[in-house]
Amino acid sequence: MTGYIVRRIAAVIPVAIGVATLTFLIIHLVPGDPVVAMLGDTAPQADIEGMRHRLGLDRPLPEQFVSFLCGLLHGDLGESITFRRSVSSLISERYPATLELAGAGMLVAIAIAFPLGFIAGAKPGGAGDVASMGFAIAGISIPHIYLGPLLMIVFSLDLRWLPLTGRGGFAHLVLPAITLGTALAAILARMLRQSLITVRESDYMRTALSKGLTPRAALLRHGLRNSLTSVVTLIGLQIGGLLSGALITEIIFSWPGLGRLLISAINLRDYPLVEGCVLTFAMTYVVVNLLTDLTYAFIDPRVRYS
Amino acid sequence: MIQVDIETSPQATDPRFATDVYSSRINELVFDSLVRLDNHGRFEPHLAESYERRGAEQIVFHMRHSVRFSDGREVTARDIKFTFDSILDPANASPKRGALMHIKSIDAPDDYTVVMATDGPYAPALTSAMQEIVPVGTPLPGKSGSVAPAGAGPFRMVSFHRDESVVLERNPYYRATADSPRMILFKVVPDPTVRALELTEGICDFSENNIQPEVLPYLSTQPQLKIIKSPGTSYRYVAFNFNDPRLRDARVRRAIAYAIDRDAIVNSMMLGTARVASGLLSPQNWAYDGDVAKYPFDPAKSRELLEQAGYSVGADNMRNLRFIYKTTPEQLRFATALQAMLKRVGIELDIRSNEFATFYSDVQHGNFDLMSLQWVGFSDPDHYYSIFDSKMMPPIGMNRGHYSNPEMDRLLDAGRTTLDVDARRKIYGQVQQLAADELPYVSLWWDDIVIVMNRDLSGFEPTPSGSLRSLATVRIAPPENPN
Repeated sequence: MTGYIVRRIAAVIPVAIGVATLTFLIIHLVPGDPVVAMLGDTAPQADIEGMRHRLGLDRPLPEQFVSFLCGLLHGDLGESITFRRSVSSLISERYPATLELAGAGMLVAIAIAFPLGFIAGAKPGGAGDVASMGFAIAGISIPHIYLGPLLMIVFSLDLRWLPLTGRGGFAHLVLPAITLGTALAAILARMLRQSLITVRESDYMRTALSKGLTPRAALLRHGLRNSLTSVVTLIGLQIGGLLSGALITEIIFSWPGLGRLLISAINLRDYPLVEGCVLTFAMTYVVVNLLTDLTYAFIDPRVRYS
Repeated sequence: MIQVDIETSPQATDPRFATDVYSSRINELVFDSLVRLDNHGRFEPHLAESYERRGAEQIVFHMRHSVRFSDGREVTARDIKFTFDSILDPANASPKRGALMHIKSIDAPDDYTVVMATDGPYAPALTSAMQEIVPVGTPLPGKSGSVAPAGAGPFRMVSFHRDESVVLERNPYYRATADSPRMILFKVVPDPTVRALELTEGICDFSENNIQPEVLPYLSTQPQLKIIKSPGTSYRYVAFNFNDPRLRDARVRRAIAYAIDRDAIVNSMMLGTARVASGLLSPQNWAYDGDVAKYPFDPAKSRELLEQAGYSVGADNMRNLRFIYKTTPEQLRFATALQAMLKRVGIELDIRSNEFATFYSDVQHGNFDLMSLQWVGFSDPDHYYSIFDSKMMPPIGMNRGHYSNPEMDRLLDAGRTTLDVDARRKIYGQVQQLAADELPYVSLWWDDIVIVMNRDLSGFEPTPSGSLRSLATVRIAPPENPN
């Protein structure tokens, strides 16, 4: 297993270089000028050229790219053109907020999806199944931009149970996490239902039932664990959707996360900051998927890493 | 404490580097300047007690005594010199340097006298004296541990969390009345629906020009809120690209102007939160001249002008134009309305929407036939020079439509070198008439200042520029005694 982990971590390097290359090329090739955004269009041409030289933007693109990659390999993401501070310090200020929101969204998704998926999968076609899958369809269909304000009106304004916006204690996290986690909960619930229905037809389930276990107990003790592999795979794959959903949720709930920093950076064509933020998101995705792969062994002891 | 909701985070807390709207609005409350504008766009002394012109190229400012920064230090002429010198130093890369390039020197012969010398007669020099002042030795942004430099304004900044909030607290050295606010919280709330909800629930006390017009009727029914509407100076326009031979023909530009039903847009889309504009300068500006050519909605006249210009309906030689704009819901609605209006006179408008940086790049590079933008925050009519003088085409200026007219150039040169106010007013009257005849821009509207505020606040005086300076003198009604 150690060898597998080392190989997977080593595989992160080409992924990081690939993401960095793509991000670098895209942001440099789209129209827009960070120096004009910084100095304004009343700036003397000499100042604009001077700043371009100081930032190295007058060098050929391949040279800029090599310099960027060298910095990256030394762990240096450069300095934000707009904020005149190191990119890593700006990211480290915002990343915890995004992780907190995405993590809470994931917990909400799991907390909703597992009971719903189990109820639906335990008795397909029953009332529980219809109700659970009705929720799943509603959860997938309602966009964050509608669900967020709706939750605010009910829980913050009418009932006054929770704060409206901003980042603070646990109470501030509840509504953004529900907004973010609902759609994922719906997807996971459907997947779990489907897996449980498949598992119900397995030989080992029939054996369990013939040994006298009730259908519910057999499903809980044997079926659920065997269904988890596909659900965990889906969780890993959905982390990208969760992070991009976090971006919209951050705007609705005035949540000071990395997504809003990335939007500012894109608007201002702050190249180093865009590259740093995208790389951070990409690495989060890679790490979560690595952890997902490692989880398989805990869920299913038959899984062997080679 | 008063809570003010703002839609985007201020970018810079140092007034030497702040150019975005919210940085400027907040910095006005924290820092002070030699002069400020009154509600008619005229200068009034502030840190300066008085000022005088000495010849055509010098302004001498006599400063008030015993004015203090929030750290207790007295504001002296050395602070003024330091602030301007640090902006003008190219090594510091201040985005404000371009606007101050006409300043040859700033001298402080003694602690209470500032001499500003320009590199020639320059009528709008006083606009430079609106620069907010920081103390001598203030480090560059990112090189100081403090939230913001000390200022001589009514408040000091005690916290700044980008994309979250800015908290201001009374400057202990600034005179204040007992019932004026001790603290102001500027909270960044990007979502317009949430801003409206916060007002409804009394979480937010004050918002200016960031509530969607369609929500205002609902907010006006809320007993705890009041809405104040007053004329503003922000100017929305459609610009033509003069590099396109079709648009170089004044008849075509006039035809397009006649085809736009601006009253309908202002009433239906802006829901009465704007006024149809006759030109760049609004009636609130001292140099405004409303006696200019107007283009009321008249599709028949528009079609007639197009026919005269040789672009008959159905012919392939014109009637297809590209309009670009920045992606916002408001701009999308305007673009769609414009497309429908021009279609009525036979012009097919291809509308292209992009996020700001791409849009702005297209504007700078002339990749458009028509484009729409807004001018915000200018005060002196010399702004015409930046946008219509033939020497000011990109990349060195903002004449993005590449408009060129020797008569306009002559008038604009005269306007910036004539120091007599009455003579300048006459010159800019001619500029406004020429601009309305020639139509490098089709004027659309001036945005109103729309304030939604808690009824318990009183004494706020809106300014045409949208300044929030009056928040310093707002009074908060004491809570009612339940007995």
